[in-house]
Amino acid sequence: MSEPVLAVDSLHVTLRSRDGSLTEVTDNVSFALAPHEFVSIVGPSGSGKTTLLRVASGLRAPTAGTVRFAGRELTGVVSGISVVFQEYNKSLFPWLSIRKNVAMGARHLTAEERGKRVTEALRQVGLEAFASRYPWELSGGMQQRAALARALVSDPQVLMLDEPFASVDALTRGHLEDVVAQLWERSSFAALLVTHDVGEAVYLSDRILVLSARPSRILAEIVVELPRPRAQRQTRLLPAFAELEAQVLERVEEAGRAGVRDSAVQPLAPVTPDRR
Amino acid sequence: MSTIAAGAYGRRVRAWGLGWLGIALAACAWQLASALAASSVFPGFGVAVSRAWRLIDGPVLGADIIPSILRTLLGFAISAVLGISIGLVTGYWRAAREWTAALFAFLRSLPTPLLIPVALVIFGLGGRMVVAVIVTAAIWPVLINSANAAAGLEPTLVDTARSLGLRGPTFFWRVLLPATSPQIFAGLRVAISVSLAVMVVAEILGGGSGIGYFIANAQQSFDIPGSYAGVVILCLLGWLFDTLFLVIEGRLLSWQRGTVGGEHDV
Repeated sequence: MSEPVLAVDSLHVTLRSRDGSLTEVTDNVSFALAPHEFVSIVGPSGSGKTTLLRVASGLRAPTAGTVRFAGRELTGVVSGISVVFQEYNKSLFPWLSIRKNVAMGARHLTAEERGKRVTEALRQVGLEAFASRYPWELSGGMQQRAALARALVSDPQVLMLDEPFASVDALTRGHLEDVVAQLWERSSFAALLVTHDVGEAVYLSDRILVLSARPSRILAEIVVELPRPRAQRQTRLLPAFAELEAQVLERVEEAGRAGVRDSAVQPLAPVTPDRR
Repeated sequence: MSTIAAGAYGRRVRAWGLGWLGIALAACAWQLASALAASSVFPGFGVAVSRAWRLIDGPVLGADIIPSILRTLLGFAISAVLGISIGLVTGYWRAAREWTAALFAFLRSLPTPLLIPVALVIFGLGGRMVVAVIVTAAIWPVLINSANAAAGLEPTLVDTARSLGLRGPTFFWRVLLPATSPQIFAGLRVAISVSLAVMVVAEILGGGSGIGYFIANAQQSFDIPGSYAGVVILCLLGWLFDTLFLVIEGRLLSWQRGTVGGEHDV
């Protein structure tokens, strides 16, 4: 395997809740992302997937452990890592047109270069006809495509996706999965997807990491060797697909059961979002 | 589509017409009450308006009306700049919020008229005193609204801005300010009417010139129609400021159509 583009090493994250009590969210998580690899992280709800992604993207500092991006230790956000958030309706800037929203991802370029790249990014997600619209004029799926275009316009080395399709309907979700798969295949970025949808993880990934309940560890690593390019109907009908899905699901359920047992003994304190 | 649009247009025209009809009715009522009272301290609407017109068309315009407008606008502008910047900064950073919460609660509960004697001692009679007193009152609606808006900023929006590398002044101008602008404008609209009201009070007590000074003077020299005319001019100014404000707000917040409430006029 070539030098990883992102390496997470012995990560511990502890959050402080409003009443001052501490909650251990992750306990010794290590994994690496090879260049142009597609890795998904699945786990029961409340397993700290989102927190893990925030730390891996530099949005939050770890309590202990390190994140290395392109060989250097991450101390904050970097331009080589882009993030797409679950709540596209809160992530797009409502006061900017779609085009200007996407241009926010390419502020470091000259105006001419930026114009070209924004147009290209909008074309790739099929939104060139909606460039001058405001986010609220677009459907949820289109808004998330705009967020994708904004994340990719800077040509990142790593694209992080935090449950990006959780807030859209099933049909749109399948379409968005294909948009991401195509963008990934045509490009060279590595992708890290956090999701609770096991089928989605199998469909998109080269490798799946199953997270345990809090404090989370990596419970299992499952390599997905389905042929590419994948297509919704053909790929999902493969016997290997069903087998992998069952295998991952089993591990997730195992983790969920363990979590329920733990939390019955020791209820988790509500955790406040860690802002600033 | 066109019939719907025509319907909306028709509704607007109707609302506008009814609004003016209401004003006309109130004017008639005033005129009638004055005729019935037949008192020298209660002149009719016609007398007050014609006197107001002569004031606007005379030396009082430059001596009192324009100074009052300038003081109001300057006080409002200073309140806006200070209120927005202090409000956003103290609202956004939790530490700043905690340090200033009690202090601001004390300061904003000070009744403005109480500050006028103090301001008179510091600035003396005149415009600077009036502007200073306006700021002490008009800053609060702006500051409180800005602070609340900044404190309630969507965490996802903040994360997005950070991951896009927007920080420092860029974050302030490109994210914090536009994201909070709807609430800021609500505060500014209150501030403009507060500015106008405080301007009059401060001028009555020690403006040296201005509409408030003129009204107090007219009243003391038994020029009753004069003080009513001053009130009419104040009403006009208040209406003018609010209308101008709504036009500017409509322009700057045009992106907001459809984002609030979900329902909007077609």
